[in-house]
Amino acid sequence: MSGIAWTLVALGIGVIVVRRNSIAVALVTAQAFVLAVAALTEGTSADAIIAAAALALRGVVLAALFLLLVRRTRETRPVPAGVAPLVRAAAAVTLALTLIWLVPPFGLDAHEAEQATLSLVALGLVTAAMRRATLFQVLGIVLVENGLALAALSLPGEPSLAIEIGVAVDLLLIALVAGIFHERIFAEFGAGDTAALRSLRDS
Amino acid sequence: MTPREWLVALALVFPVVGVGAAAVSPRALLSRVMTGIAVLAALAALALATVALLEPTHRELGRWIVVDPAGGIIIGVIAIVGVASALVSPQFLAARRSSLFRADRADRIYWATLFAFWAVLLAVPLAGNLGAAWLAIEATTAASALLVGFSGRGRALEAGWKYLILTSLGLGVALLGILMLESAAGGGGIETLTWRSLPHDSLDHDVAVVAYVLLLAGLAAKVGWAPVHNWLPDAHSEAPAPVSALLSAALLPAVLLVAWRSQQALAPTIGVRTAGGVLVGFGLVSLAVAVPFLWQSQAWKRLLAYSSLEHMGVIALGIGFGGSLALAGVAVHVVGHALAKALGFYAATPLLAHEPRASGHGVGGIGRTQPALGASLGVSLGALAGLPPSPLFVSEVLIVAGGFQVGRPWAAGAAAVLLALGFLGLAHSLIETVIGKPRGRDRHPAIGLRAVTILTIVVVPLLLALTVASLWLPDSAIVQGLIRGLG
Repeated sequence: MSGIAWTLVALGIGVIVVRRNSIAVALVTAQAFVLAVAALTEGTSADAIIAAAALALRGVVLAALFLLLVRRTRETRPVPAGVAPLVRAAAAVTLALTLIWLVPPFGLDAHEAEQATLSLVALGLVTAAMRRATLFQVLGIVLVENGLALAALSLPGEPSLAIEIGVAVDLLLIALVAGIFHERIFAEFGAGDTAALRSLRDS
Repeated sequence: MTPREWLVALALVFPVVGVGAAAVSPRALLSRVMTGIAVLAALAALALATVALLEPTHRELGRWIVVDPAGGIIIGVIAIVGVASALVSPQFLAARRSSLFRADRADRIYWATLFAFWAVLLAVPLAGNLGAAWLAIEATTAASALLVGFSGRGRALEAGWKYLILTSLGLGVALLGILMLESAAGGGGIETLTWRSLPHDSLDHDVAVVAYVLLLAGLAAKVGWAPVHNWLPDAHSEAPAPVSALLSAALLPAVLLVAWRSQQALAPTIGVRTAGGVLVGFGLVSLAVAVPFLWQSQAWKRLLAYSSLEHMGVIALGIGFGGSLALAGVAVHVVGHALAKALGFYAATPLLAHEPRASGHGVGGIGRTQPALGASLGVSLGALAGLPPSPLFVSEVLIVAGGFQVGRPWAAGAAAVLLALGFLGLAHSLIETVIGKPRGRDRHPAIGLRAVTILTIVVVPLLLALTVASLWLPDSAIVQGLIRGLG
C-alpha cells in the first residue's frame, strides 16, 4: 500500500505545481486509476472489483468532462495562478505535515495510507485556495475526494459499497454543476478566472 | 413496511415525481402542475412530521431511515417553506429577465432542480446513518448551486461558484471526520455509522475528538457558521427569492440537525462538555461576526443573510447547551426563524420590483410608499429581531436561560449581550425600512405583492401561536424526545 499511497501524493503535488489544466486533469485521472489498482490489491471479492470499476469509471467520466470543458473554453493563455508554484507546493507540504502531526493514528490498514489521505486532503485544499482558474479549483475538490477514496479503501473490514458509490455519484454531480458554471463564467468574463468573481461586497 | 415507512416513502416520492413532471408537463400548465405537486408533497411531509411530533416516544430507527421528533420539526419546516416557495415561484419566473439556461428550457430546469433540491433536503433529516446524511447534504449542494446561479448574471455566478466550491471542500473535510470515526470503530461499513451505533465502545477518545471537530468544521461550511460562512451572504442575496427562503429556512437547519445528532451520538465518547463546547464556540463566533453587519445599512436580502448567520449561531448555542430549556428554545427558534425568514425573502420579489435599488442598497420608508409591503417587511424583520411577541424573543430567552441551567454562565452571558446588540441593529433596520425616510426615487408597482400579503396574513397567527406554544414546550414530551435523541 505504501507505494500506491505515495504515488497518489506525488501525482497530487504535480497538480499543485503544473501550469496547464489539461496536464492537471491527466494527473487526477491517473490518481483514479491508481486507486482502482489499490482496490484490486485489497482483495478479489466482488465488492473489491465493483469498487475498482466504480473508481476507474469515475476517473474516466471526470476526465472526459474536464477535457470537454478545456476544449470548449480554450484560453488564449493559461489563467495566472497568482501564487508561484514553489510557494504553492511549500504551503501544501506545510499543511500536510501539520495535519499529519495533529491527527492521531485513526486505524486505517496502513499508517502510510493515513498520512497519504491527510496529505491529499491538504493538497486539495491548497489547490482550491491558491489557484485562480475555476477548473483548478474543481480539481482541488477531486484531489480531496481521491484522498478520501484512499482512506475508504484502507478501512479495516469490508467497506460500505453503497456509501462509496454514493460519494462517487455526488462528486460527478458536483463536477457537472461546476462545469456548467465554468462555461458560463468563461462566456461572461472571457476566462475561467475567479479573479473576475469579486463584485459581491457589503455596502 | 411500517405505516411510518410508508409515510416516509410518500414524502420522498412526491418531490421525485415533481422532477419528472417538470420535464413532461405541457408548457402552458407547467406552473399549475408543479404547484399542485408541491401541495401534495407538502401534505405528505406534514403528515409525517405530525406523526413524529405527536408520538415523540415512538421512534423509527432503521439503518437507512430515522423518524424522530427532531427530524419531525425539520421535515415540517421543509414542507411549509417548500410549498410556499413553490407557490411564489411563478411570480419570480414571470419577472425573470435572464437565466443560466436556454430561455425555452429555463422554467422546466428551475422546477426540476427545485424539486430535486426538495427531495434530497427531505432525505437529510430522514437519513438513518451519518454516511447517508452526508450523501444527502452533498447532493443538496449540486441542486441548490444551480438554483443560486439561476439568473446567470455575473453576481449570481460568483455567488453560486463560491457556494459550490466552499461547501464541497467543507463537506470533504466532514467526510474525512466520518471515515476517521468508521476506521477508529474498526470498520464495519454502514452498521458502524448508524446513529445508534456511532457511540462505539472501541472509539479512541483522541481520535473521536479530532473526527468530531473535523466533522463539525466541515458541516459548519454548509450551515454557514462563522468563520466559514463566506458564501452565505452572497448566495442568499443572489439566489431567486424562493430559493433563498429554502436555503436559509430549511437547508441550514437540516444540516444543523446532522451536527446535533453527531453531537448527541459522540457525547458519551468525547464528553458532554467537549461535544457541546464546540457547538457553543461556533455559536458565539457566529453571533459575534454577524452583529457588526446587522448594524450596517445592508441590501434587504443581504441583511436577511447576516440574520441567518446570527440565528444559526443561536441554534448552535441552544444545541451546545442542551437541557430542557435550551432545546425547547431550539425547537421554537427553528420554526419561528423559518416562518419569519421565508416571509422576508418572499417579500424581496415585490420589494425589488417596487424599488430596484434595494438589490444593492438599504431601503427606507417602504411602509410610507407601499404600506402592505411595508407590513410584510416589518413582520419579518420584527420577528427576526426578536421583538416581543415574536416567538424568537421567547426562544432566545429560553436558550440563554438554558445556558445558565446547564452551568455555562459565561457563554450564556456573552450570548445575551450579543443578542441584545443584534436586536438593536435589526430594530434600527426595521424602523428605517418601514417608517424611515424614503430613499429611492424610482418607485414602481410591487409585482407579486398579493401573494406576499396573503402569506403575511397566514404567517402572523402562526408566529403568535408559536409564541404561546413555546411557553408550554419545555415540559413537553417533544422536548423530552429531543433530549433523549437517538441513543
